Amino acid sequence: MKTLVLRLLAAFGLAPAGSVAAQARLVADAKAGALAWKTKTAEAMERAKSLEAEVKRQAQTIHRLETTTEKLRQRQDEIERLLRVRLVEAEQALGLAREHLMAIDTKLDILEGAANVLDARTRPVISKQHDGVRAPV
Amino acid sequence: MLTGRNDGYGGDFAARFFRTLQFNHEQLTARAIPHEIVFIEWAPPSNNPLLLEQIFNALPELDRHVCSWYVVDPEYQSALSLNPRLEYLEFLAKNVGVRRARGEYILTSNCDVYLGRRVLDALEQRALEPRVLYRAPRHDLNLPENLHDVSWEMLEDPRNLAGPAHVLKRPYMGSGTGDFVMIDREAFHEIRGFNEVYRVARIGIDRNVIVKALASGLDVRDIGGPVYHQNHEGSYRLNPKAYEGRENEAPWGDRRWHSSGVSYVNPPTWGLANAPVRSIADQCFYVDFSWEAVPPLVDLRGILLPAARAGLPAPGQYVRKR
Repeated sequence: MKTLVLRLLAAFGLAPAGSVAAQARLVADAKAGALAWKTKTAEAMERAKSLEAEVKRQAQTIHRLETTTEKLRQRQDEIERLLRVRLVEAEQALGLAREHLMAIDTKLDILEGAANVLDARTRPVISKQHDGVRAPV
Repeated sequence: MLTGRNDGYGGDFAARFFRTLQFNHEQLTARAIPHEIVFIEWAPPSNNPLLLEQIFNALPELDRHVCSWYVVDPEYQSALSLNPRLEYLEFLAKNVGVRRARGEYILTSNCDVYLGRRVLDALEQRALEPRVLYRAPRHDLNLPENLHDVSWEMLEDPRNLAGPAHVLKRPYMGSGTGDFVMIDREAFHEIRGFNEVYRVARIGIDRNVIVKALASGLDVRDIGGPVYHQNHEGSYRLNPKAYEGRENEAPWGDRRWHSSGVSYVNPPTWGLANAPVRSIADQCFYVDFSWEAVPPLVDLRGILLPAARAGLPAPGQYVRKR
């Protein structure tokens, strides 16, 4: 019987008060839920926007760093090239210095030899002269 | 071109010399290789007879007309010396001969060096080229001291080798260089002979001529076979380190001098060009002393760095001497 009454009321778009109140609570809850989700969605979108900006910033930083790295690599290559040139120049200069040292050393040998020879040649003469000076008259 | 004197160097020098000269002269004659033997009897000691006085008696078959004999006044030895320990300025003597030799090619060698077959082949075939300094490796032999005749069997028997046979290595092709340096006369004159600016050492002057030749654009080649040297007492080769630690006392000078690293320019009067020469017998001459012929005691401009040549290594390493 109760079921029949309820069906009859429903046919006229009516419902028992308790049921209406319950439905109204459900609708209110759903609305509150929707609002909460809206807020959350807004926050999430805000967060996504912020992260997107951050990603953009990071991408720019990465790009900047890549550019800097490339520049540094080029600079390093240049420095290495210059160092290699310097090394070759230094080796050449060292070789030349050694060669000049050889020539100087050889010339010193000659000078030393000549000095010894002249010393040997002049010593007896000077010695004789000294003896002559000291000789009693 | 040979130099020597009757001073008993290395034992019986004269006998060794005569034996070697006889062998070489016979071989050259047998192959009809035209040659002139230029001998420089450098600063002979007054107490011994000249080699000149003995040679033609000792080797009666030696044709006087293939010989040019120069006796150099002993006063040159003391006038030129920059090191009293060097009793024999070997390369100054060689320059006297190089200056006066008349052949198309000049071989400077030593009195106890036997020419090998390959060397004779090259001479016989006239296979030599101008502007090339030819070298031959030296094979040191242990032969009996009282040897009379020398045969190919003796020279070529590996059992007589005193040590491993030397192989010449580029660029200097050193090792016993003084025993075989052969260049065409024109080029030898162009480089003005052996270094006579550095008269402090005898050792290394032969190697130094290779540096000079390379720096002057000459090629240096192995002639293709060895020469043979009979070991004897007093030879540098037998004990090169005999004067280690007291190099200034060595009778050949300080072997550490930079013979591989420096070059030289001899004065235009190299080889005692201005010395008065008088004939004392047929094909025999005496080189009289004259200060006009003596180069300056010191000629520092005559020592210079060798020009680098493409494809050749840089001149020798600098070695700290003292």
